[in-house]
Amino acid sequence: MQKTLWRYFALYRSFFSHNLKNEMIYRANFVINIGLDIFFTLVNVIFFAILYGNIETVGGWTFHQTLIIVGSVGIIRELAYLTFRKGFLELGEYVRTGNFDVMLTAPMNTAAHLAFRHVSLTESLGEGLMGLILVGYGFAHLDAATWISIPFYLLMLINSLVMYYGFCLMVSSLVFWLIKSQELNTMIYYFMNTARYPRDIYHGLGKVFFTFLIPSSLIATTPATILTGKVDADLIALSVLVAIGLLTLGLFTWTKSLNHYGSASS
Amino acid sequence: MTAIEVKSLNKTFKTHKKEVGLKGSFKGLFHRETLYKEAVKSVSFSLEEGELVGFLGPNGAGKTTLLKMLSGILYPTSGQAQVLGFTPWERNRDYQRQFAIVMGQKNQLWWDLPPSESFLLNRDIYGVNHKTFRQTLDEMIELLDLKELLDIPVRQLSLGQRMKCELVASLLHQPRVLFLDEPTIGLDVISQEKIRSFIKEYNQNKKTTVLLTSHYMQDVEQLCKRVLVINHGGIVYDGSLSSLSNRYIDHKVIKVRFAETQSPTAPSNMKGIVEWDEHHAVLKIQKKEVAQVTHKLLGDFPIEDLSVEEVEVEEVIRRIFEESPREK
Repeated sequence: MQKTLWRYFALYRSFFSHNLKNEMIYRANFVINIGLDIFFTLVNVIFFAILYGNIETVGGWTFHQTLIIVGSVGIIRELAYLTFRKGFLELGEYVRTGNFDVMLTAPMNTAAHLAFRHVSLTESLGEGLMGLILVGYGFAHLDAATWISIPFYLLMLINSLVMYYGFCLMVSSLVFWLIKSQELNTMIYYFMNTARYPRDIYHGLGKVFFTFLIPSSLIATTPATILTGKVDADLIALSVLVAIGLLTLGLFTWTKSLNHYGSASS
Repeated sequence: MTAIEVKSLNKTFKTHKKEVGLKGSFKGLFHRETLYKEAVKSVSFSLEEGELVGFLGPNGAGKTTLLKMLSGILYPTSGQAQVLGFTPWERNRDYQRQFAIVMGQKNQLWWDLPPSESFLLNRDIYGVNHKTFRQTLDEMIELLDLKELLDIPVRQLSLGQRMKCELVASLLHQPRVLFLDEPTIGLDVISQEKIRSFIKEYNQNKKTTVLLTSHYMQDVEQLCKRVLVINHGGIVYDGSLSSLSNRYIDHKVIKVRFAETQSPTAPSNMKGIVEWDEHHAVLKIQKKEVAQVTHKLLGDFPIEDLSVEEVEVEEVIRRIFEESPREK
């Protein structure tokens, strides 16, 4: 077990350095990516600044508290690109061209292979850095801020990453049936975009929908509650359970889909 | 030792029929007729370790499907296969470390990076130790004359150069079984030759079991003592190339050049004439009558040059493919 873990850690390092070399070839692309990321994050901040210019709180969240949610989305996105996200974006192309075959013959876990093959530092770096700044800025302006909450915040970020991964696995499994993945990826993108609104704005059926079916109300709000002193044990327990549930479901559908590919591709 | 053992392997693909035109596409949204295509039909054969065997067949004969099943990419519909003692489609890591598949039409190298980077990554994926890696790589660079290509981005390489690099990338872990799916497709004659001689040498030196598919006759003719001819999903011949000709072809070709101008009309007492003019003649003669006909030709006509030739293997194969009944 430990040996396997070390092997995959070493593999990640190897893939990461290859991807970085690959990204550095396209410098202009790199600069444009970061510029766009910063621009769109600022647009988001301005939107909330205008909103909070007229009202005190949204669902009980103040401006600075909301910045932490928005920032957390950026951090989670960057973490996802650093680990698995881009591989899923490319999956449709792999399946369509049949290059996915190579991943099935290599002596490593296929899901890990797909994820590592496209780990990207720069794809979402601007958003990640802006996220860090926003979280820091919001945190500095909170009265309830305590340093002790930071490690717990990081833990919940990882939990959100697991949730996100499980969701991506589950949705991307459909690629093997649909072959085209553009629409699925757009769907995942919008799912992440709705994560920047506080969970408390949802009620009734909407809340259920954005908790269990698409967990976007948990993904950024739960970590943010910890930094903002809104800690709620029930919410944390719910988030952990949803993360475990989605990961299990995701792995299950993924395995089923690989078997389907094995019997259907030519 | 047996390296590959295949027993009555079947693979049927399910596809959907689509009617022509926009109207047909629209209909297909609601009602689709399912079609079953038997890509591989009860195929059985076995390969000894170290053998180099060619799979010969036209497009769509089922060659690639077979190789994909043996690599564990595809599940069979029914039947069994053992490669190095493993069932391929269980995708056992220990099996995956011991075989390689190279597909002439697919690319596993990193497009924007030099091939040497892809080699390093494969070293890590297959867990090859650094010293062995260095040795294996140097050996192959020497054999394939790759030294100058190592630091050029793959996208700038020619098809032939890229194919060589694909081969190297797949052989770094020194597989015991190697599947080559049309490794020379689209290459010029010189590159084809280079790849061929490399495969031959590699097979002899390393005792690697090689199963190669191609629809280029020369590939198989030069590399493989044994061929499996596959058509419409089934194996129609398993044996040596030379006995393939013996079995399917019962005649030889005699070519003649006359020393003096002859009458342009063919003499009625000679049989098997294919071509005849003032200067040349070509005759197709039953093998057992070759000596007799040659003797007669030499006696009756002023001959400057005469040759007796075997029918080309390509012609033999073409015959087999045409003979096998085509199914609906």
